[in-house]
Amino acid sequence: MAQISAVPMIPMSVGMHRVVRGISVEHVCGEPELSIERDHELMMRITETAVKALETEVDKPTLFEPSEAPSQEAVHAS
Amino acid sequence: MAEPVRVIHYLNQFFGGIGGEEQANVPVQAREGPVGPGRALQQALGVEGTVVATLIGGDNYVVEEQDKSVQALEEALARFKPDVLMAGPAFDAGRYGLACALMCQASQEGGVPAVAAMHPENTGVLTLRRELVVVPTGSEAVEMMDGISRMAPVGLTLARGQELGPALDDGYLPRGFRRQVMREKSGAERAIDMLESRLTGAPFVSEVFRRDFDLVAAPPPVSDLATATLALVNSGGLVPKGNPDRLESGRTTEVAHKYSIEGVEEFTIDDWECIHTGFYSGVVNERDTNYVLPLRSVRQMESRGAIGRILPYFYSTAGNGMAVTAARNIGETIAPELKDAGVDAVLLVAT
Repeated sequence: MAQISAVPMIPMSVGMHRVVRGISVEHVCGEPELSIERDHELMMRITETAVKALETEVDKPTLFEPSEAPSQEAVHAS
Repeated sequence: MAEPVRVIHYLNQFFGGIGGEEQANVPVQAREGPVGPGRALQQALGVEGTVVATLIGGDNYVVEEQDKSVQALEEALARFKPDVLMAGPAFDAGRYGLACALMCQASQEGGVPAVAAMHPENTGVLTLRRELVVVPTGSEAVEMMDGISRMAPVGLTLARGQELGPALDDGYLPRGFRRQVMREKSGAERAIDMLESRLTGAPFVSEVFRRDFDLVAAPPPVSDLATATLALVNSGGLVPKGNPDRLESGRTTEVAHKYSIEGVEEFTIDDWECIHTGFYSGVVNERDTNYVLPLRSVRQMESRGAIGRILPYFYSTAGNGMAVTAARNIGETIAPELKDAGVDAVLLVAT
């Protein structure tokens, strides 16, 4: 099992082994500030990272970062 | 009499009077004097302490912007020169509990002792148990007064630079430290006393505490998703529009619901919605329901052969104020069903 979470500390604290970093609590798998097209690309990157996590050997709670994620400023400006 | 100790009290945006979930993104901000439950804290402290300031932070903000939140705390420490930080009570609210834990940790690193109040199963305790002093509370806000009256004396002890006694004597959660102490009776005598109590049905307290959450070994990886069956699970409360079978939106008492996605390429906002009461801003329901379960992306990967097959139904629950026992019940119900359905891997989206 892989989990996508906007607050990876929470699942990792209870022993979840494969955790993928999501964007925000209110929109875990995407970013409404982006254009629809780029938002869909971002969701695909997050999902592909989750698939990669499922195919990766781990022995402890491990965080997988989606590749080429937009910078923190662009992701959550508020 | 000594000067009253100076207390900073940390609250989330709800108890700090700023607003509910729609204000969960407000940055950490300081107010002079007590706010909301801080008035009860002031009463509990009496003449021995003064709530000089209240620090209020949005539930989402603090867990998502940890560096900026810690910076705001450091500024408050410099400005108000407290002797102790007291945080909560956060009860069983996960983000609030984690925020209290992060604030306490940062305060301690800044040289100011700290205590938080929350439910023993709160993620804030699970994350930073060894580092923090936490007094236990129930899961509901009706236990506010009780939580505050437990937190105040522990905070006063810490503020005066005094050593805390053993966890169970002083009313905080054991951190897992062992200290040498002299007891009246030897271990052998105490063991016999305990055995006698047990055999006669009298109450007794064990001196050894077990870890009471499960540790599960990491499952092996799936060798190739292209030949695997993938199941989708979410705790965002994703349901067909109108919530026809009334999935509970928080504090779940039921098992997860199953919904068919046979022939469904993505979750459209016309046909699906998210009833998790935490998603107040509605961005999921207004913009893209796939934010709580990326069906669009997994279907595309299925089409191009990167994922073998997607189970034709998904599981949904609303992970909102969910007790660990309820979550365990859901997991124990789902797992054998997934095995019977030939599922090789599960994708879970849970904030």
